[in-house]
Amino acid sequence: MSLEQVGTGQQRLPVRFVGSGSEYFRIWVVNLLLTLVTVGIYYPYAKVRRLKYFHGATEVAGNPLSFHANPHAMLRGYLLVALMLGAYTLAGRFSPAAGLVAFVILAALWPALWHSSLRFRLANTGWHGLRLRFTGERRGAYAALAPGFALAFLLLAGGLWLQPEGVAGSNPDAQPQPPDATAVMVVGLALPLLMLLASPALLWLLRSYQHRHYALASQSTRFDVTAGAFYKLGLRMAGVGFLAMLLVGVVVGLVMAWWRPWAAIDGSGTDKGWVMAMGVFIGLATTFMVYLVVWPWLTARTQNLVWNGTRTHALRFDSRLRFAPLLRLTLKNWLLIVLTLGLYFPFAAVATARMRLQAVEVLTTADPDALAASDTPHDEAAAGDAAGDLLGLDIGL
Amino acid sequence: MSAEPHSVSALYFDGRSGCGQPVRVRVDGSELVAEPLALPADTQAQAASPGRWPLRSVQWPERTRHGQRQIDLPGRASLQVADSAAFDAWRRNNGPRESWVVRTQQNWRATAAATLAVGLVLVAGWLWGVPWAARTALLVVPASADDAVGAAALQSIAERWLKPSTLAPQRQQALHKAFADAVQAAFPAGDAPRYTLRFASAHKALGPNAFALPGGSIVLTDALVNLLQDQDDAVLGVLAHELGHVQHRHGMRALLQFTLLGAAAGAVLGDFSSLLAAAPALMAQLSYSRDAEREADAMAVRVLRASGRSPAVMAVFFEKIAALPERSSSLPIALASHPADAERVRFFSEAALVQRR
Repeated sequence: MSLEQVGTGQQRLPVRFVGSGSEYFRIWVVNLLLTLVTVGIYYPYAKVRRLKYFHGATEVAGNPLSFHANPHAMLRGYLLVALMLGAYTLAGRFSPAAGLVAFVILAALWPALWHSSLRFRLANTGWHGLRLRFTGERRGAYAALAPGFALAFLLLAGGLWLQPEGVAGSNPDAQPQPPDATAVMVVGLALPLLMLLASPALLWLLRSYQHRHYALASQSTRFDVTAGAFYKLGLRMAGVGFLAMLLVGVVVGLVMAWWRPWAAIDGSGTDKGWVMAMGVFIGLATTFMVYLVVWPWLTARTQNLVWNGTRTHALRFDSRLRFAPLLRLTLKNWLLIVLTLGLYFPFAAVATARMRLQAVEVLTTADPDALAASDTPHDEAAAGDAAGDLLGLDIGL
Repeated sequence: MSAEPHSVSALYFDGRSGCGQPVRVRVDGSELVAEPLALPADTQAQAASPGRWPLRSVQWPERTRHGQRQIDLPGRASLQVADSAAFDAWRRNNGPRESWVVRTQQNWRATAAATLAVGLVLVAGWLWGVPWAARTALLVVPASADDAVGAAALQSIAERWLKPSTLAPQRQQALHKAFADAVQAAFPAGDAPRYTLRFASAHKALGPNAFALPGGSIVLTDALVNLLQDQDDAVLGVLAHELGHVQHRHGMRALLQFTLLGAAAGAVLGDFSSLLAAAPALMAQLSYSRDAEREADAMAVRVLRASGRSPAVMAVFFEKIAALPERSSSLPIALASHPADAERVRFFSEAALVQRR
């Protein structure tokens, strides 16, 4: 049935988050304790409990989301992924070449796992008595991730090639041949630069695969954001990063201008320790700027860009997450987390979720009840039911 | 209305359509029953089929202070209750008892106890859990892993810090032989740990130094041999100490501990910041290495004694190190702080006394 017939006027459905920090604190601390004393085995159970709380507290048009995953199934998935990542990390420790081989194996499996994980997550998320679906195919997941893996492989292999003695292993007699300058330039500079330039496109591939394949009842999403928009975002992020670093530079300059004359008087104007302290300050300030300023900016803008570009036949999203409030919230969260030795973390998580979720409204041209009431296509429902047989992977990316 | 409600109103979803049907839910014997609330005249089909589900197959929601209640039924059907307070009151008399996890989560006193317990578990894990786990993991890690890690480490150290030794070959040969003999004396059955002794001229920053790597490489710097010019016995003591590190696979153990701590810190803080997660792992290494030093010192005493030397020669080593103009902080064998050095000198002196008696 066509939804346009149901209604033509556009309706705004509010998204509300009704969770509370103090309540999530109690859930979080019990989860943490049980995860610690079971050496991590409890983790999927904790995650299910956490997601049930966050989903249940998220109400769209007055109806809560729901989460139905079976933690036993998730435990299997986690053990598998932990095993794989453990083997990968160990392989890298033994020798760079072994690390490269492990990377290829991981890259060959990861898209399938990711695809399975997306299906699992969506099939276990419900609203209005219906389950969501992820309709993407496995092939699509490989296509979305392959370029990124290929570039990363080139980077890894290039790094390995720059240190030929790394492959030779325990052969001290082999005189390492210094690689010629052009090759070093290509591998050491051009490849990382290429990776940097490609990253908005890589992210776009990822997001458009995801956002093209969400479905609820008869509604399937499409994704109207172009790769160009991701590049624009990347450029603006570079601008924000530059401004943040400019601020650090001004502070350093001011401190030096103010401090120098005094330092010169007691004859320690070129004190090494002083220069080092300045270096440490610049390093710390850069880290803070990235975490506390650039990251919230990117979070806000990405959420708006991606969700405003995601729509179905009768639904679209209006996300207006603003940078300034998110920046203030992030600063407050970090400060309180540090002051409370981490105990503030659950409060911070709830406050962030509230701000991000309540910045979104769902716009629909159809009556919300009628929307969900339209029957789920038959074959799709069957595919969704198979979700119980999925590996229980929930890796997130 | 009675204080103990017999039923509660809900929205019933059949799992195929998003059309909610208002129902009253009650428990009837061993079954959960949902009966349509309002019966429009034209929907008799629905009215004729009230839902009944065995209680065993019903997934009850957990009580929270905020949010609605959702009950999962077989076949993806579900019940949604907007009035959580009414549901909780009804459930107290009709539903199953809440799990102890939920009761803990909903109780501030129990949560405070859990917070305290998290702190205790973290401290205990730091003090005993991680070292124990690393020791256990060491049993499964094959020796070939030590070799590979050691070879890679030696290579990167050699590139940055080491040049070929400038010691006379005869001197190297003599030390090689003296150490081999001493080890042979300490392990007459030939079960000594496998080692490779390497002489090297090290970068100034390393100073007089000796260190053992996973897989059995023991590196001795020229500066240390020169420092202990006429004290070959002390050199042998230092080498035997390093052999102790080799035997107990301290290098590999440190690596495992580092990895485990990183993983544990990641589990606790990981959501929050990988930056903070790495710090405890780094800090822990120093305190762990003292225990390792003690084990290695025991090996030094064993080899020195077995080869007829007095463990007291190690006191000479500590004296010479202490007398250096600028103590290098990167000196693995004497890494611990001054009081600990004093403790170790006492250990070697007492070992010497015991031997004399």
